[in-house]
Amino acid sequence: MKNQDMRNQLVQLGNGAHALALQILGNTDDATDAVQDAFVKVLNKPGAYDADTGPLAPWFLRVVRNRCIDLIRRRRPEDANAPELSDPGPGPEDSLEGEQRNRLLKRALASLSDEQRQIIVLRDYIDLSYAEIADVLEIAGGTVMSRLHRARMALKEELTRHG
Amino acid sequence: MVDKERNIDTHVGELLSGYVDGALTQQQRQLVSLHCEACEECRETLTRLRELRESIGKANLSELYEDKWRETMNDPTVQTTRNIGWLMFIAGLLAIAGICIIGFLFSDEIPVTMKLIMIAVYGGLAALFYSVLRQRLIERKTDKYKDVEI
Repeated sequence: MKNQDMRNQLVQLGNGAHALALQILGNTDDATDAVQDAFVKVLNKPGAYDADTGPLAPWFLRVVRNRCIDLIRRRRPEDANAPELSDPGPGPEDSLEGEQRNRLLKRALASLSDEQRQIIVLRDYIDLSYAEIADVLEIAGGTVMSRLHRARMALKEELTRHG
Repeated sequence: MVDKERNIDTHVGELLSGYVDGALTQQQRQLVSLHCEACEECRETLTRLRELRESIGKANLSELYEDKWRETMNDPTVQTTRNIGWLMFIAGLLAIAGICIIGFLFSDEIPVTMKLIMIAVYGGLAALFYSVLRQRLIERKTDKYKDVEI
């Protein structure tokens, strides 16, 4: 893959990767750092990605996810346990209704387990296939549907509770 | 008939998610369709799952914008690290090549004719490499599609 093509694809993956990192790390600055680190890693060693082994998206997201896990391990022990997603404050650029819906969704997502948040973001936000999700999360392909369904049902419950 | 009864009695569970994602076999799709025709609870869950997927797809979960990542790509740290990497690699190669050339030229064990032949061979290869490289660089500079982003 040409370097410029890879850069364009990575730019498009940026937001999805950031959303995934945010679910793992719990705060936007750490998530931004993790995605930037992954960019540096990939751009400094573009040969590490072999296009014959599959699309760039799941490969890059796995790099981002591993970077997040590294960051969690390096955190002080008291911070290392399940990260708490902060309650998102209102964004000035959003419309009132859209903003409210977005906050509600984020709050509901924040109450799910780490794994459930990740699988929902990978499928419903980034739109990866089941096989790609299995690749990123390093789980058996046959378990994706059931895990995803449990996560969605939990999110549905939370939204009903908060709504 | 038995299948249909079982279909109604047992909820289809995770298959509903597979149905929403288009990840089922034709047989499984049929099973879910038949079940949802008869089961209001699963029909409602299916609708809710579709809405959920749509709202997450439209949500702003990242709060950052594509331009942010484009800037990151051109971040000085990224560029500098890569440039330093290339510089060190090329400097190392040149140093090795220099040592080999000096060793070869000043060696007393290699006859002068052999030295001249080797200089001709490697000089020729270097000239060919330079001409191809120059052509590529000129093409790259004048390629009108190089900045087109897909």
